[in-house]
Amino acid sequence: MQQKVYDVIIVGSGASGGTLAAHLARQGVDVCVVEGGPPVNTRTDFNTHAFPFEFPNRHIPTMKLGKEGFDTERTRGLGGKSLTWNAVAWRYSQRDFKGKSADGAGENWPLDYKTLSPYYDRIEREIGVCGNLDGLEDLPDGIFQPPVPMKCSDLLVKRGAEKLGVKVIHVRKATLSRAAFGRPACHFCGNCMAGCDVVAKYNSFDVHMRPSLKTGKLTLQSNSIVREVVVNNENKITGVRYLDRVKKTEGEVRGRVVVVAAACVQSVGLMLMSKSRLYPTGIGNSSGHLGKHFIPHFTGGVQCFLKDLIGKPTTNDEGFLDHAYVPSFMHKRKRDYARSFGVQFNYQNHRSTGFAREIPGFGKAYKQAVKDRYPAFLTFSPYGEMIPNQQSYIDVDESRLDKYGLPMARRTYVWQENEKKIFKDMTDWSVRILESAGAEILTVSQTPQPNHELGGCRMGSDPKTSVVNSFCQSHDVPNLYVCDGSVFPSASEKNPTHTIMALAARTADHIADRLKKGEV
Amino acid sequence: MQMKEEKKPVEERRQALRIIGAIGTTCAFPFSADELYGQHEHSTSSLKSAQLPKPSFFTEKELAQVSRIADLIIPETDTPGAIGAGVPAYIDMVCSRNAELAETVRKGLQGMPETITEGVLMRLQDEQSPFFRAMKNLTADGYYTSKIGLIEELGYKGNTVLAEFPSCTLPEH
Repeated sequence: MQQKVYDVIIVGSGASGGTLAAHLARQGVDVCVVEGGPPVNTRTDFNTHAFPFEFPNRHIPTMKLGKEGFDTERTRGLGGKSLTWNAVAWRYSQRDFKGKSADGAGENWPLDYKTLSPYYDRIEREIGVCGNLDGLEDLPDGIFQPPVPMKCSDLLVKRGAEKLGVKVIHVRKATLSRAAFGRPACHFCGNCMAGCDVVAKYNSFDVHMRPSLKTGKLTLQSNSIVREVVVNNENKITGVRYLDRVKKTEGEVRGRVVVVAAACVQSVGLMLMSKSRLYPTGIGNSSGHLGKHFIPHFTGGVQCFLKDLIGKPTTNDEGFLDHAYVPSFMHKRKRDYARSFGVQFNYQNHRSTGFAREIPGFGKAYKQAVKDRYPAFLTFSPYGEMIPNQQSYIDVDESRLDKYGLPMARRTYVWQENEKKIFKDMTDWSVRILESAGAEILTVSQTPQPNHELGGCRMGSDPKTSVVNSFCQSHDVPNLYVCDGSVFPSASEKNPTHTIMALAARTADHIADRLKKGEV
Repeated sequence: MQMKEEKKPVEERRQALRIIGAIGTTCAFPFSADELYGQHEHSTSSLKSAQLPKPSFFTEKELAQVSRIADLIIPETDTPGAIGAGVPAYIDMVCSRNAELAETVRKGLQGMPETITEGVLMRLQDEQSPFFRAMKNLTADGYYTSKIGLIEELGYKGNTVLAEFPSCTLPEH
């Protein structure tokens, strides 16, 4: 029997893969999503409402007993990382897309805010994002559900920050503050990153893919780890080869277009592993830039106690983790570095009591000191933007094989002068803001930690220095697309998922359009 | 009595809370009207503590020493202390799975006098002894992640269903 040839194969089912699948299927395109992990039921599979004392070792496993977990290296499961994300949804600003024009560092995006803005609109309209209209130049407003009230602790931080001329705004999240789209509003249990069991928080399976199944145009193929994107000698992608994760057998899915959307590091790894006669160093790598310009966000951290809350009664304020945000504010201030930082804070939940170790002493006084400080505990995490450098890249370590015998992608990053300067400044500012809010500082992190992974397959208008164009289409192979954080030429300091989804929607339109015109 | 009053919120939380989300009518997708996620319940069973294994790693003498030290670090007050919260069994379990930690603890215990007093611990703390550090971490972890520590002592109130997130009611605001 002749094997089916899909219009589009999407590798990966996270925020990007899910958005692409929905936007293609509802335009009548025949889509197959190939996901390495098993189907996941966000309603029943996670330990969403667990307490530590329900487990002998006091560690709450992400998944319920007997459910296959997400491994730490790769988030595998239908829905990808959107099942466990914190749902923060910012639009990038014109300055984020054209940072190089402002300060000469890094690289500009080959598109403007104006180009992406209608796609941000579309995503907000269909998934639901709550937030306030703040009128900030560096954080464009969108189409929002009402914001969720700030916590007392947020208001204390806000008061302190405002004394220094620093704004604190309502967080914007792809979590419903009002029932909509057949999904209930958030009920503020405070377990957002353990799989929201009512889908008040966006995940790509329940919000994008499951409703699209009814079009009859969407096929979800789980447990299939794609190991190669196959290109023929005519420079045309014919499909993908995969390893069946359960049966350990090889298989192939055929399609007219392939979109790699497996998340930054894994997408780059897959492309580097896809070697052929035409592309001996990896598919679409004629520029030699595949894997380069790896620019993860870096974070710092301050833990503190807000003095105004010490000794106060506890309240039920887990909320949906962080309710407020310090948007970047350095662009208009004098500084000795390029780019900027923003601060996420107060997203610890109150089942984490690790701070108790750090309170000095023992005995009755110690026990009282822990109790008094418990309602006042707060974490503060500034996020900085990294400038691409030669020593930071993604490659494949052929000598390290995963449990399926596939070589593993490897991250290498070196913080340069600019990152070190931002790190110092964002840490100093964090302490300053918290002290102004009347905080007793507990710990201050001294080393940057990598966070949201971005870059490695950057977009650009020059095929010599970039891998894909602004439609996420490979410069080398016209029917190959890459769509996730890997295509970001510069990172901004803002959480990337909303921009990834807007790019996915735009890419889907581009692909559907080309299919209609018979270009593929 | 004071204790009873403090327990009240816990009792309230034991009742199953139920929320019925209104089904939205605005749809971005033609097929998204779906009552599957309309109902949600938090069950009472989530408040059960897991049984810790019977201590098997430490000798009887060691376990008595561990208990004594844990009790000095977090004593009983108007709420139970480390012993009441089962912390010695927790420490035994952690040490049975962590050889490095176990060695620090065992070595430390061997150096303890017949009667372990507050003064003994005070000295260890002043010397920044790794043994003291380990015992304090283990005791704090075990206690504040227990049901007694987290809910009775600290007064944790989250992990429930709120129809709306309340605005801050602190008098300052």
